[in-house]
Amino acid sequence: MANLIEITDLAYRYPDGTPAIDGISLSVESGDRVAILGPIGAGKSTLLLHLNGLLLAQSGSVTVDGMKVTGETVREVRRRVGLVFQDPDDQLFLPTLLEDVAFGPLNEGKAPREAAARAHGVLADLGLAGSEGRAAHHLSGGQKRLAALATVLVSRPRVLVLDEPTGNLDAEGRAKLVRLLQERDETLVVATHDLEVARALCSRCVVLDRGKIATQGDSARLLDDASFLQQHRLTVPLGDRALRGSTGTRSPKNPHNH
Amino acid sequence: MQGDRCLAHIPDGFLSAPVIAGAAVLSAAALAVAVRRSQSRLGEQEAPILGAATAFVFAAQMLNFPLGAGTSAHLLGGVLVATLVGPSVAILVLFSVLLVQALLFQDGGIAALGANTLNVAVIAVVGGYGSYRWLLALVGMGTRRMIASAAAGAYVSVVLVGIAVAIELALSGTLPLVPSLVAIGGIHLLVGLGEAALTAAILAMLMRAQPELLRRESPPPPVRRKWVYAVTAVSMLLAVTAVYAASARPDALEAASRRLGLGESVASYFQSPFADYTAQIGGAWIAAAGGVMVVFAVGFGLTKMIVRTRRNP
Amino acid sequence: MSFHHLDQYAHIESPITHTPPVVRLLGTVVVAVGAAALPLGAWGHMAVLALLVGLIALLARVPARVMLLRVSGPLAFVVLASTAVLFLVPGQPVFHAGPVVVTDAGLLRFGSAIGRAVVALGAAVILVSTTGFPDLVSAFRDLRLPRVVTTSLGLAYRLLYTLVDEIERIERAARSRNVGAGARRRRQLAVGIAATALTRSFARGERTYRAMLARGYHGEMPSLRTRRVDVNSLIGLGLLTVTVLATTISAYMIR
Ligand SMILES: Nc1ncnc2c1ncn2[C@@H]1O[C@H](COP(=O)(O)OP(=O)(O)OP(=O)(O)O)[C@@H](O)[C@H]1O
Ligand SMILES: [Mg+2]
Repeated sequence: MANLIEITDLAYRYPDGTPAIDGISLSVESGDRVAILGPIGAGKSTLLLHLNGLLLAQSGSVTVDGMKVTGETVREVRRRVGLVFQDPDDQLFLPTLLEDVAFGPLNEGKAPREAAARAHGVLADLGLAGSEGRAAHHLSGGQKRLAALATVLVSRPRVLVLDEPTGNLDAEGRAKLVRLLQERDETLVVATHDLEVARALCSRCVVLDRGKIATQGDSARLLDDASFLQQHRLTVPLGDRALRGSTGTRSPKNPHNH
Repeated sequence: MQGDRCLAHIPDGFLSAPVIAGAAVLSAAALAVAVRRSQSRLGEQEAPILGAATAFVFAAQMLNFPLGAGTSAHLLGGVLVATLVGPSVAILVLFSVLLVQALLFQDGGIAALGANTLNVAVIAVVGGYGSYRWLLALVGMGTRRMIASAAAGAYVSVVLVGIAVAIELALSGTLPLVPSLVAIGGIHLLVGLGEAALTAAILAMLMRAQPELLRRESPPPPVRRKWVYAVTAVSMLLAVTAVYAASARPDALEAASRRLGLGESVASYFQSPFADYTAQIGGAWIAAAGGVMVVFAVGFGLTKMIVRTRRNP
Repeated sequence: MSFHHLDQYAHIESPITHTPPVVRLLGTVVVAVGAAALPLGAWGHMAVLALLVGLIALLARVPARVMLLRVSGPLAFVVLASTAVLFLVPGQPVFHAGPVVVTDAGLLRFGSAIGRAVVALGAAVILVSTTGFPDLVSAFRDLRLPRVVTTSLGLAYRLLYTLVDEIERIERAARSRNVGAGARRRRQLAVGIAATALTRSFARGERTYRAMLARGYHGEMPSLRTRRVDVNSLIGLGLLTVTVLATTISAYMIR
């Protein structure tokens, strides 16, 4: 079977001249779970925006499910690729959670009754039953993340693309989210700083640096390689570094996954 | 309390039934025009721009700007928003804000919503933004000129709001016209300074921090400078003449309105219940205000016409 | 900044909250307009409408304390603004208050303004206490207000909360760096905050737009609401309208 996502020689420069992506080729098979790692400003978010046509390739190409992503195909592409943004406040823009979650199905032309039923179902799956009528600003950070995820899951995409899904989450919220994602069977592309999350969710890691793929390979192998991690300025959770004191010239070793 | 800002948001209780109804009809008509015009202007991006502008105006109207000596200013924001998103969208944004302020914040009356919309959304934006474009055409493009013109436009918008509020109160028989104009208009002559300063300061900051926001604005029409000068000069002359004529003949307005067939109904509103009071000084004031507005409208229309003929000869 | 009240009291269970938001909104408008349109000095009619508002407040189970508190703030402003009326309106002098002369015409207008304001404010407070922002937006939709308005308000609601959060953060940060001293500095801070609020709000609007596109948005805001207005609510609204209309119109006829 052809690859679900095929990126060839993709490059993107922001209007102000910043070369955010600079020649990336990458393929993701159906059922793959890929982590995109990289220091801040490496181009992770920019890459993800190409996956569902929010940015269109300036050179090179992106193909999803056999369709080249262009102005004509974006709507089809967006049905297949569900994108969860870095900041859940961007994703939850309607007065109540139910409306936010039903937004996708309604746009696909589903009847209000069916859209609402689906939204109720997904919110219940994620443990948010009872919060349907609440506004996002009355939710905790972790609940907001889940809600943002729900807005995308409700459309049953083939690929889930998550940008920093654990940003600003405490240990418990993070563990909960990871467990939830481990149980899903969508193809997964996750941009993250959090190496533990990458290890727990993904079998493959792609490391970006300054808009290029620095290296890619098996998660377990890459994430245990301390000198490699340091070379690519990949951070480890602050807690561990703090525990080791501020001498930090030695590269901190990645903590084991519990 | 919200203090001086509330002056621009008339509460319920001050307006009479005919004024409530009349203002509602006028503002509904203006909103309908704005809705039609905004559609062509916004296109696809409509929703987020509208949401953002509305949220901003809401938040900005809540902010307190200390002026020193225990006084503070508030932003109405009509001209500021119009320079970012254009006048028709700005009217709708301000209306949305007024609507929610009246219904959920008790800031401005529910029955007075029509009048408040007419003043703060329609008159302020059309008058203020109109003056801004006019001035811009007079002085030419450029960052500083744009900021100065916007500040002047903001000032005009607040003064117009003051005048409109005063006239509405007078038409309602709540206050006689002259004290109403002097008190409310006078306060707005001061409040307008705050609006102008804030508009200028915020625009200046925006130009430094995020000039692309302002680029939504198309450059002013490429009118020949001398035409604008000529029209302005003629308008000024007309305005002065009108004011002079009015003050020389205090009953000019009455005469004019009788000739126009407005008859007693309008005139009696202006006078009642203090006929002698208003007739002596009131006529001049109304004529002056009305004259300047008419002149402005004529001048602006001429400018537009010139632009159009220049563009497609 | 005081808009946190918006979501606080909107959950009182009552016969009023069981009516659709659009009915509550229309009822409020009817009462407010009816009261505001009363002629000067129609004291009896004002009392009738005030009684009506009191009844509805009882029905809506809005605590008297909440009613008083909410009405008193805006009312204070009305009183303040209408004191000017007392002596600016010429008429028969009634009494002297220091250097100014209070006239009968002034008193009439002063009292009427406050009377109408109390009734209209009462109606508005019942609305706020029973209806949240989201419900209000859906009511606007039911009333076929221009799509532009409902869309912008629907989006502005969430944006406003994130915006105010950000503003509060900026303020705190600035204060912790001791920017607060002197009117000049404070003024600069306020202008800075306003400008930041503007850019943030537009930037957030941009990102929200992306999130909307990502979920298949194509220029048309969809809506979930299919709620029908039930007969009972309609009858209630009808009765209210007739009562208010009769009161207001009779006030003009009696004069
Ligand atoms: N709208 C924009 N305009 C101009 N430059 C941008 C824009 N967005 C991002 N950039 C630049 O593009 C580069 C890549 O940004 P991107 O957001 O993709 O990085 P990232 O890897 O997601 O970083 P982070 O981990 O901080 O989220 C950065 O140098 C950034 O400054
Ligand atoms: Mg990013």
